[in-house]
Amino acid sequence: MDDSDEALMARVAKGDQAAFRLLARRHLPAMVGLARRILGNAAEAEDVAQEAMLRVWTHAPRWQPLAAFKTWLTRVVVNLCLDRKRRAPMVDLEAAGEVADPAPSAGEQAEAAERERMLAAAIQQLPDRQRSAILLTYSEGMSNAQVADILGTTVSAVETLLVRGKQNLRRALGRLIDEGN
Amino acid sequence: MTRDELRIVLDVHGGDPGRWPPDARGPAERLIAADAGARADLAAARRLDAMLSRFASPAAEDERSAARVLSKFNGPLPRQKQPFWRIPAALLDWQFAPAWPRLAALAGCALIGFSIGIAGIDRSFAGPEAQITSRDIGAMVFGPELLTGPQP
Repeated sequence: MDDSDEALMARVAKGDQAAFRLLARRHLPAMVGLARRILGNAAEAEDVAQEAMLRVWTHAPRWQPLAAFKTWLTRVVVNLCLDRKRRAPMVDLEAAGEVADPAPSAGEQAEAAERERMLAAAIQQLPDRQRSAILLTYSEGMSNAQVADILGTTVSAVETLLVRGKQNLRRALGRLIDEGN
Repeated sequence: MTRDELRIVLDVHGGDPGRWPPDARGPAERLIAADAGARADLAAARRLDAMLSRFASPAAEDERSAARVLSKFNGPLPRQKQPFWRIPAALLDWQFAPAWPRLAALAGCALIGFSIGIAGIDRSFAGPEAQITSRDIGAMVFGPELLTGPQP
């Protein structure tokens, strides 16, 4: 049996709940991860992923395979995340606190964890669309054209988002990049 | 190509030359070969790439979150939205079935009533004694007592 995303969606469109759960099991980890990195909040990321998958279920009969299913789902997740950020701009106190905390950490592992936290905080400080463009490029391995499709913009606009986003990261991280890896 | 142009290529496409546009790749590689500063830019871009890739890589936490979300789909799912062109078919859906006998009975009653009215079955009750004359008009308009009759 064909278990490609598109074939599963055809079954979901006919009300096949098993096909829907298979599709959800396949894509939820990546979608939750992407939402968590964009929102900087695991609980909200779960809400977004749940809402996105429910949209997959309810809209399946109207879904037209004009784009790959994963591209469409990613677009839904990113739009839901950006909507949430627009509606209720939130400061991730946990992440923001890590940047200001100069407490020395003991051991290489702790230093690496500290670097990860600083990077996470710097990424959270980026404007939403810059952060989305960078995360789609690095987490999903998407081309700039695919990122443009998901963000509903042009390739040159995505290139501008990437350049400005990385400039902001370099400013925020400074010597951390030189120490990198 | 200048170093500023190289930095833009690195920010847009990353530090992997395989992802650089073909027309920029040659000049970029020549600049990197000739300029130590350009080599430092490339190294810094690769370090940032590595940090971002590591940050964006799948985490065990995501699997746990996904499992929690998935468990919420074990119950009944909401009704799906049907496309407009399937509305006639949706009317025949089993969920509408219990209403069909009642709708059919109502439509039948309406049809019988309409037929009786059209066929004029009620006219047979109107005999000659029931003819309306001009004298009846006063009673119909002013009531049972004529204005010219005795008044209280």
